[in-house]
Amino acid sequence: MSRIDVQHVWKIYPRGNVVAVQDLTFTCHDREFLAILGPSGGGKSSTLRMLAGLEDITRGEILFDGKVVNHLGPAERNVALAFESYALYYRLNVYENIAFPLRARGMKGPEVEKRVKFIAELLELTPYLKKYPGSLAGGIQQRVSLARALVRKPNVTLLDEPLSHMDQRVRHELRARIRHLHDELGLTTIYVTHDQAEAIALCDRLLIINEGKLQQIGTVEEVWNRPANKFVAYFIGEPTMNFIPAVVEGERTVAILTDEGKRVFTLEGSLDSKYIGTEVTLGVRPQHVEVFRERQRENTVAGVVKVIEFQGDKTVLTVRLEDSTQTDAKAVVPARERYAEGDTVWLYFAPAVIRVFEEEHLIL
Amino acid sequence: MAEVRLENVVKMYGKKMAVRGVSFTCREGEFFSILGPTGAGKTTILKMIAGIEPVTSGKILFNGRVVNDLPPQERNVSMAFETYNLYPHMTVYENIAFPLRAPRWRLKLTPEEERKRVEEIAAFLGIDRLLDRLPQNLSGGQKQRVSLARALVRKAEVYLLDEPIAHLDAKLKFSTQTLLKEFAQRYGSTIIYVTHDFREALALSDRMVILRRGLVEQEGTPEEIYYYPRTDFVGRLVGDPPMNLIDGEIIPEGGTLFFRKGEDFTLRLEGRLAEQAQNASWNENGRKVVRLGIRPEHIRLGGEKPSENAFRLPVYAVIHESESSVVTFRLRDNTFLYVRTVGFCKYGKGEEVWLDFDPQWMFFYGKTVEVLREGSSEK
Repeated sequence: MSRIDVQHVWKIYPRGNVVAVQDLTFTCHDREFLAILGPSGGGKSSTLRMLAGLEDITRGEILFDGKVVNHLGPAERNVALAFESYALYYRLNVYENIAFPLRARGMKGPEVEKRVKFIAELLELTPYLKKYPGSLAGGIQQRVSLARALVRKPNVTLLDEPLSHMDQRVRHELRARIRHLHDELGLTTIYVTHDQAEAIALCDRLLIINEGKLQQIGTVEEVWNRPANKFVAYFIGEPTMNFIPAVVEGERTVAILTDEGKRVFTLEGSLDSKYIGTEVTLGVRPQHVEVFRERQRENTVAGVVKVIEFQGDKTVLTVRLEDSTQTDAKAVVPARERYAEGDTVWLYFAPAVIRVFEEEHLIL
Repeated sequence: MAEVRLENVVKMYGKKMAVRGVSFTCREGEFFSILGPTGAGKTTILKMIAGIEPVTSGKILFNGRVVNDLPPQERNVSMAFETYNLYPHMTVYENIAFPLRAPRWRLKLTPEEERKRVEEIAAFLGIDRLLDRLPQNLSGGQKQRVSLARALVRKAEVYLLDEPIAHLDAKLKFSTQTLLKEFAQRYGSTIIYVTHDFREALALSDRMVILRRGLVEQEGTPEEIYYYPRTDFVGRLVGDPPMNLIDGEIIPEGGTLFFRKGEDFTLRLEGRLAEQAQNASWNENGRKVVRLGIRPEHIRLGGEKPSENAFRLPVYAVIHESESSVVTFRLRDNTFLYVRTVGFCKYGKGEEVWLDFDPQWMFFYGKTVEVLREGSSEK
């Protein structure tokens, strides 16, 4: 069992009185794959370092399986760590690199061999055991680094941007291997990254942190479909979520203003009546926009296709809308649908895909 | 604006042949990309078009006129370098205005006209607030946009852009890419664009060439390149995950041809596929071997057997994308097979799933690249 509870944790660096992490609370469940995602300088790495025991906790508590570990060092917490840089011992061969944490704990003989061989087999490193890291390609070195981290059967595996230096092709393979390993060994994994695609690719739940503060925690689908605020909405997803100015008309309707009058959109669910008349921002993911050639009666706004970007299995349209601020909206359409620059199109937003933000926060 | 034509262009550096006879035509007003891995000769070609590097043999023509012997300033090209090449002692404004002041173009703009032009392009690229800064006070991404603004500020016959957005972070890269395409359309500019990133080439280009070790591997529209890669090299270079490449044996049996991938699966081949497989095959230890190529989105997954050719494999891992998943399988020779599904996929690790290759999108190739595998170099 390895459940991690972070309770009201603060990290304040005395120098300059920098608040790196502010009142952070979350739980990582046993066998969960949790990603901590955010821009650089947002508090991700400080959080990871406090979890690992590499950094003091200024306030609050971190618990492993219900026991406070604040005062324990990295070794006593039994966490596995792998970083962006592999930090391998280049004078030792692959076998000795992987065996190192076991020997450091006084383990000897056949037990060491058994453990090293098991993890090497799993990461397909058996052919390289006698080789030296310097002679191996980057992807294989990163696998050695993972093997060394995991050989001790850790309570929790902490991965800090392990793939960010990897070539695109190797990345696919390593992503698959990391996820496979997580499932196979029943690990509890916390994965720190600034790359939203990487986080979505691998994890069960996402924790988004910015300026030291928790923005949202949830499954990929929750965060994708219901981002808690505009920051999360912007940060997750490519192309970025469309933000379109609108006014609340009624509890279930909003309007986009155009020179030719209002375009009314029906919502799924109701807004608090106090918002009627308020200026809001509609958030619609480009993947959720439906594009029509003819005017549709409901939930549509017209625009002119400005840019067409082919992406292989799909195409991204940039459409300048008819609204009074001339918003550029993006729509992802199947690659086989043909459009030309200058085409007039109508964008349909189904009630279920329209999010409503007031200022920064999601209100529907 | 100009049409740019290369005829059998060769570039030697000493005894090393960097460009080995390249021909293509970038039509007037076209957005034309040169896509290839590092060292393929992309930048060398761009520099020869600009006139910075002499051509060893072959011809470069602008609007049908040979320009081989014209110096750069006579060619009316505007270039942005991957390395920015900003003037460190000049502000961002002065850097961008520099090409407008070059006596060669006799623009003779008034200070107001100049300011308008500089501010317009700076605002377009989102760097209008940086105009008074010096390059040393800019981030890499900001410098790159200044360099791009400097290249685009002046009307030129041809714009030559060398990895102009390579150093922007992901969000900015995508938005700047859209702006570049908008710029090209608005002014009908002729642009030759060098990149190693297939996404940029697909999104931006009207047409493109794939360059490999100094030679053109394929020329076509982005759609042609993506859907009909001529070689396994193109299939690997373009696509994310790239095209699956599977080496297997071809076996004739009772008048029918089969493609056999070890113990993993066997496919019956008909019509075009049988013919293509025969033609592309080679002999290996007395067996006929061929390479099958299929893109991840052209394999369907299902719980029940969907066709005669379908086969079953256990799921190795499921990787998510924003609105789709990439289900990964492992074949017995340790290669990975990637399948893209529509929507989030709910298969668990180890679950046995039917795979069905869409015959319309199956291709057979000879072997010209090594498939990434245990022990192979990943660089």
